[in-house]
Amino acid sequence: MDLVHGLTYGLSVSLQPSNLVACFIGVFVGTLIGVLPGIGPVATMSLLLPVTFAMSPTASIIMMAGIYYGAMYGGSTTSILVNIPGEAASVVTCIDGYQMARQGRAGPALGISALGSFIAGTFSVLGIMLLAPPLTSVALRFGPPEIFGLLLLGFTMVTYLTAGSKLKAVAMALLGMLLGTVGLDPISASPRFTYGSVTLGDGLGLVPIIMGLFGISEVLLNIGQGVKQEVFDTRIKGLMPTREDWRRSAGPIARGSVLGFLLGILPGIGAIIPTFISYALEKRIARQPERFGRGAIEGVAGPEAANNAATGGSMIPLLTLGLAPNVVMAVLLGAFLIHGVQPGPLLIKEHPEIFWGVITSMYVGNVMLLVLNLPLIGLWVQLLRVPYGILFPLILLFCVIGVYSESANVWDIVVMLAFGVVGLLMKRFGFEAAPLVLAFVLGRMAEESIRQSLLMSSGRFSILLTRPIATVFVVAALSVVALPVLLPPVRRMLRTVPPDDTA
Amino acid sequence: MTGRERGAAAVLLVVGVIALEEASRLRFGSLARPGPGFFPVVLAAAFSLVCAALLVGPVRTRDADAPPLPRLGWPKVVATMAALFIYALVLEPVGFVAATFVLLLFFFRALERQRWLVALGSSLATALLTYLVFRVWLNVQLPAGLWGG
Repeated sequence: MDLVHGLTYGLSVSLQPSNLVACFIGVFVGTLIGVLPGIGPVATMSLLLPVTFAMSPTASIIMMAGIYYGAMYGGSTTSILVNIPGEAASVVTCIDGYQMARQGRAGPALGISALGSFIAGTFSVLGIMLLAPPLTSVALRFGPPEIFGLLLLGFTMVTYLTAGSKLKAVAMALLGMLLGTVGLDPISASPRFTYGSVTLGDGLGLVPIIMGLFGISEVLLNIGQGVKQEVFDTRIKGLMPTREDWRRSAGPIARGSVLGFLLGILPGIGAIIPTFISYALEKRIARQPERFGRGAIEGVAGPEAANNAATGGSMIPLLTLGLAPNVVMAVLLGAFLIHGVQPGPLLIKEHPEIFWGVITSMYVGNVMLLVLNLPLIGLWVQLLRVPYGILFPLILLFCVIGVYSESANVWDIVVMLAFGVVGLLMKRFGFEAAPLVLAFVLGRMAEESIRQSLLMSSGRFSILLTRPIATVFVVAALSVVALPVLLPPVRRMLRTVPPDDTA
Repeated sequence: MTGRERGAAAVLLVVGVIALEEASRLRFGSLARPGPGFFPVVLAAAFSLVCAALLVGPVRTRDADAPPLPRLGWPKVVATMAALFIYALVLEPVGFVAATFVLLLFFFRALERQRWLVALGSSLATALLTYLVFRVWLNVQLPAGLWGG
């Protein structure tokens, strides 16, 4: 199926009323939780997984994806108006966005982040359409050594691109994989770490772990530390950026789009790291770098474009390889599997309606988001005035409902609460949750691929270096480890990446 | 590493060693034919090594000028968690609506000091509304029981 055919076919799917509704619910909920600090796309998507049981696979994935990129739009609103990130990928937007708001330019700041996000979102949808089909044919040649090489690259990325201690991130990744081995061995089906329990035989659930580490622990932290809630109280007027604003923003949006998209494809990156790199880049090449931090519109436009483009890029490994490059995609992978659809190289052939339908729905969704975030901005601002004392019991309740409804098992609520406590302690002691969860998801695949590789090679690890594609991944992984040591400037830049990549 | 972080590393090291001990009882197999114990043993060993490295790692001087962690109001956090654990235990015997009503009442009245009428009203409304939306409308599984059904 060629591109034009794919595109028209995809639109015929995504414009069906039920899929349009799914898309709208997705981007609406995404904006909502993006605006609200303390609940992110990962927890929300896990929460809504059970709701998708009754929907068609296509509509489910459309809705789930909508939540993700919708959250990228919503997050910037809170960053600009309240100076706290509504969502982790909008941390950088606080710096110049809030300054703009203080100078009475909240309107253009909100406007440029919505329009910049739209441009970047559109760009990344085009990118997926161009890149995914050819990558699919490459992916068909992947055997266990290639998969293991790619996973290795993902693990090194996610641990080496963190701001905190790399060693701690490695520890968390190993712990995540170790937690993933609880249950039946994927190859011989013999029980491991189950202590004779049938419940543990099924392993620990992904949703309870995610909701605990990202949902409950965040609420606990907010309860314990208190949340400051000062919405910037000026009338927001003139959302449209001026000609001068556009002149300044065009470059950052273009660079942010390309950068975000390409980085988003790489495993382990997520949507947050590109925003920091974009900000650093714009500041470095700016003619007046001193304007940054004092309300430079470039500092809003670039990162906001980058995080939206990254959401598109990160769909590529999932759609072509069936491999989750970050935690959000891991949840999306779960949504596929619930419906008995295996994403990967065969998806485009076996389920073209999902492949093209989801991609084109992202374009439709971006148009909806533009309407939701520009004319309706006042609605979201009102939402920011709901006191946290009312919000947090509701968030906790939704977490409980989400986890229980997935399995109808109280055990999973207990697992979630336990991981909530663990997550709170991890935050207090400077350990990150993202490597743990990603490793938990990918650990099973890593184990299967390395064991199968060793079976193929009768126990020789050299198989990872004798096949060209696998070699590229392994060498890339090694250079990720080696580069920061060799290049101090790279190291300095990476140091600006924030501690918690909730992707 | 600060003293507190060293403590955390020590706890993790204990976890790692226990996991290694447990994993070593599984069949390891050989490199050519790895068994169920192969991956867990490698992971647990690597995890223990990393934790040990964290434990003995150099004290970072940078920590001195890093901003101190904001104070955490532990009583409120512990009360919230205790309420949620009890909620999980009674959820199935008591039923969703009743258990949720009591949980929310505790949050709104005891933790957030809303007025009685407000707390009662919003707890009841939320419990019923979530039940209607999730169970009746979205057909999501919720615990049956006295009030659930």
